[in-house]
Amino acid sequence: MTVAVTAGTPGRGRGGRRHRPLPTWALGLIGLAGLVTVVELAPRAGLVDERFLPPFSDMVSALADQAATAEFWQSLLETLRGWAIGLSIAMVAGVVLGILIGGIPLLRAAMNSTIEFLRPIPSVALIPLAVLLFGTDMRSTLLLVVYAAFWQVLVQVLYGVQDVDPVARETARSYRFRPLTQVRTVIWPTALPYMMTGFRLGAAVALILEITGELIIGSPGLGRQIAVAQTSGAVAAMYALVIVVGLIGVVVNVIARAAERRALRWHPSIRGEVPR
Amino acid sequence: MTKIRAVLAAASVLFLTACGGGQTPSPDASDAGRPASAGLTSVKVSVIPIVDVAPVYLGAQEGFFAEEGLKLELVSAQGGAAIVPAVVSGQVEFGFSNFTSLIIARSKGLPLKVVTPGAGSTGAQGKDFGGVVVKADSPLKSAADLAGKRVAVNTLNNINDTTVRASIRAAGGDPKNVEFVELPFPDMLAALDKGSVDAVQVVEPFLATAQKNGDRVIASNYVDTAPELAIAGYFTSEQTIASKPDLVKRFTSAMLKSLKYASDNPDAVRKVLLTYTKIDSAMAGSLTLPTYPSEINRGSLETLSKLALQDGLIQTAPDLGGLLP
Repeated sequence: MTVAVTAGTPGRGRGGRRHRPLPTWALGLIGLAGLVTVVELAPRAGLVDERFLPPFSDMVSALADQAATAEFWQSLLETLRGWAIGLSIAMVAGVVLGILIGGIPLLRAAMNSTIEFLRPIPSVALIPLAVLLFGTDMRSTLLLVVYAAFWQVLVQVLYGVQDVDPVARETARSYRFRPLTQVRTVIWPTALPYMMTGFRLGAAVALILEITGELIIGSPGLGRQIAVAQTSGAVAAMYALVIVVGLIGVVVNVIARAAERRALRWHPSIRGEVPR
Repeated sequence: MTKIRAVLAAASVLFLTACGGGQTPSPDASDAGRPASAGLTSVKVSVIPIVDVAPVYLGAQEGFFAEEGLKLELVSAQGGAAIVPAVVSGQVEFGFSNFTSLIIARSKGLPLKVVTPGAGSTGAQGKDFGGVVVKADSPLKSAADLAGKRVAVNTLNNINDTTVRASIRAAGGDPKNVEFVELPFPDMLAALDKGSVDAVQVVEPFLATAQKNGDRVIASNYVDTAPELAIAGYFTSEQTIASKPDLVKRFTSAMLKSLKYASDNPDAVRKVLLTYTKIDSAMAGSLTLPTYPSEINRGSLETLSKLALQDGLIQTAPDLGGLLP
């Protein structure tokens, strides 16, 4: 109700400063509603063939059918599990190696070219290798997920470590802080915002690779269900599963942002947003 | 102190039972209640989740594999290309593939061996599970008209383009100038609709979808190639045959039983499709099923081998005797 009222007004009363702008979430919902309308109407109006892009309502009813099967929930669980395991491994490895490499200038100089060589290799190009190593089970996909997310985290942590104030670093050194204490008191607070950015990027990339791996390799999860729907000619069911994957993406992003806010609530970049 | 120790002991017992659950039931733990599945040998079979492999799912459902002491683990692969390496490397014991792929692999020296047939053409003109389809208003009337046209097949240099060529020859046309385009089955009808190809070679469930939409079948390429053409089968590697002869024997026997059952109970086949594919139930009831023969049609395999040689897929004819059981 309130949304409808406020949504109607900005068109006329644009100059009126007393109208508060719509909250971001409401604008987001309006954008989604627009997309849904287009997907519903385009096939019905004959702009695209219904056989290849069914109306949104068909996708929703296919989704309801899917949600009634145990297989769907099992696949959802497998996808989320693969994503979480892959992201965790990538986070731990990225943070530990990032602090180690970033903290030792000699190591950093030695590793730089190697990292720049390995980082741009698309994970998807590793699919044949993954299949040779692990066949079609979830480890193949996990390899891709870890590989893709790892670089996102590592590179951010490296930047973060580089950003440490030299005076703070030298001070810690002259007070003879032990290496681990230096990491905890000097490097960690500076690198944390970068790390959280790495986490957010890694979370999204991990999900993309999780689905890609399942879709192409055929390891269990929603991606494989999409492939099965495709080979079965079940177009609406396929789009329904794609929508679910999109929703997972939204949720992952929301959670990653919330985690970022929580971990950095002391940091000026986050604190600055609160009073507005 | 003793209290802590007791708690720890209890916890470790709990942990151990939790871990060991279902794996190795201790002999005194109610032998009577022990499920029959405890003594089964696990066997991995790599299949593509399509209509052709319904018998193996049906056999698992009907318990034919359990009767042979086998616990079937179906590993679904997205394409045949992933199945052959998995079988050769021993990651899975058995795989499902079309015979042209197996002929090519065997001619290249891969140690593959067919154990049972899998799926075959119905042999009925216009009523097969695969065919060449054109749009309703297309000027193409028969396979002979395909000369110089663009035809989509799911894999180049494999069973579908060789059999379409055979179909064109059978209709008195010249297959030389046909331009084959590689497209996945799910994308074919959209490509046909857009006009980016003139004809598509599809199999079920896309054949039924096409016909429902008014598209015309101008040739049944499998029927034109050979009467009751053998399309695909289950295979293993020579290493597996040498190292696990008993397993191969039991799998073969269960598989033959499953094929026979599928052949005798088409309604059960249509029902089992709903469990491992997402074909909708109306479609599953109306599509044309392949045959599930219990014997390999050797004559038709010779035809496939000759076609592969003629179309340049292979340079030397494979020894079919070595490939077949």
